[in-house]
Amino acid sequence: MLGPVFYTAFSDVVGQLAQSGPLMERLTNFGSGSLFNLPDAFTLGMQHPLALAMVGVFAVGATSTAVAGERQRGTLEILLARPISRVGLYASIAVALMVPVLLVMSAIMGGFALSAALLGVADELEPAQMPLVVLNGFLLWAAFATFGLAASVTFDRAAPAIALSLAYLIVNYFLEILGSLWTEVAWSQEYSLFHHFQPGDILRGDAAPLDFVIVGLAALIPVVYAVIVFPRRDLAAPA
Amino acid sequence: MPALTDLTLDVKPGEIFGFLGPNGAGKSTTIRTLLGFLHPTSGAATVLGRDVESESVDIRRLTGYLPGGIALYDSLTGEGALDYLGDLQGREPHRRAELCERLELSTAVLKRRVRDYSHGMRQKIGVVQALQHDPELAILDEPSEGLDPLMQQAFYRILDDLRSQGRTVFFSSHILSEVERLCDRVAIIRAGHLMAIHDVTELLARRRRRVMIRWRGGAPDPASLPGLEDVQVHGNRVHGTLTGAVAEFVRAIASPSLEDLTIEPASLEEVFLEYYADPDASPEAAARPAAGS
Repeated sequence: MLGPVFYTAFSDVVGQLAQSGPLMERLTNFGSGSLFNLPDAFTLGMQHPLALAMVGVFAVGATSTAVAGERQRGTLEILLARPISRVGLYASIAVALMVPVLLVMSAIMGGFALSAALLGVADELEPAQMPLVVLNGFLLWAAFATFGLAASVTFDRAAPAIALSLAYLIVNYFLEILGSLWTEVAWSQEYSLFHHFQPGDILRGDAAPLDFVIVGLAALIPVVYAVIVFPRRDLAAPA
Repeated sequence: MPALTDLTLDVKPGEIFGFLGPNGAGKSTTIRTLLGFLHPTSGAATVLGRDVESESVDIRRLTGYLPGGIALYDSLTGEGALDYLGDLQGREPHRRAELCERLELSTAVLKRRVRDYSHGMRQKIGVVQALQHDPELAILDEPSEGLDPLMQQAFYRILDDLRSQGRTVFFSSHILSEVERLCDRVAIIRAGHLMAIHDVTELLARRRRRVMIRWRGGAPDPASLPGLEDVQVHGNRVHGTLTGAVAEFVRAIASPSLEDLTIEPASLEEVFLEYYADPDASPEAAARPAAGS
């Protein structure tokens, strides 16, 4: 909800700051967002480290420990002693973890729209595009969540699964921020999943279907991996 | 290195089948393969007529499994854990109340969180979760571990009742006294190889016995004592090991000069130690008595 507040309060100041030199211009375009207009302010809010930490803890932390943590504690054994297929178990966990991601994205978008309405700047947003923003954001975080879950079904202990998932998230974030701050390596943004979540463009009616395809595939590939690998894994007795 | 090699077992419906071996022999690996946790690199197995690879879910619907060193959800209460696992099983836990009563799991105990339970309490919850839905087959990995002697007896009676109700129990153990007390048949496994399968009664009948005989006057010629081995003569006393039938032996030594006779059966432990002790023993040779396996 703070996005519109910062936008209305600091947009002019940041705009003047950006015109004070090339370095400041780069710094005021953090990631793919900025405070120059409301749609980009939303993007900025979603790429802020605080937002990243809040969503990332769940999308990466919860998923990467979901199966590996059960395995490490020994409870996976008693769970799989029930008449549940491993694919069924995986699907249950995936749904249980994806629903909150979808709810969080919906809540963020809803809060942003509500805040914009309260501050009288809602006319800068296109309500019809908001579901697409939620979908794009959901697919982005689903990509990290399914990666975390894929890591979780691969390892017997939670630590390597967390480390790998976190590294994936950080590398993606680093590529996006690096490219936004350093024009010579702007190409690096293309390799970041964050770059394919562009709520600013969507809210302006410029949604790029390819972005949806890329984050959708990034979400789907780990699912396919997990569904193939998990049922075939040998689960030896816990140490 | 294969964990299990040439393992062929046939457990009959309605029997209690003991699966014995030292730590690391492959007992848990066998059980985990039967339940679909591990995939065999070769060979096949069926449980209740279902293939362990392709019909694993069906097998687990009909079985109750107690893992060795059971881990439960610490944040749940005992009752919550049983409810959760019972719901996942998809069958009515209609034996829970009876099992809890027999294992002295009171309502107050079940309301406590699992994290506050002792090892023995967790094991009791483990037994209940494995049997509460009255499975056709119970697969129990070292089930009496952590139970105090009274609870062990209560647990043994539960297994006796299961057998009398026609249920099948497959359990691994290295506690030979409970095997002797409970099992109809036992398989002995070592280093992933099946060493032998025996009827327990047959095994007990075949086991060696330590014999001491005292005569008035001198001892007779040891060669005249049928089935007696390792004979040592000390004056009018003879010590030896009886490997043959007891009745035949007693008939042979019966005489007015017989003053005292002591026959001590070797424990089952001693019998099994023969299989465990010799690392060079050929599994094929040892498995030879395993007719019907």
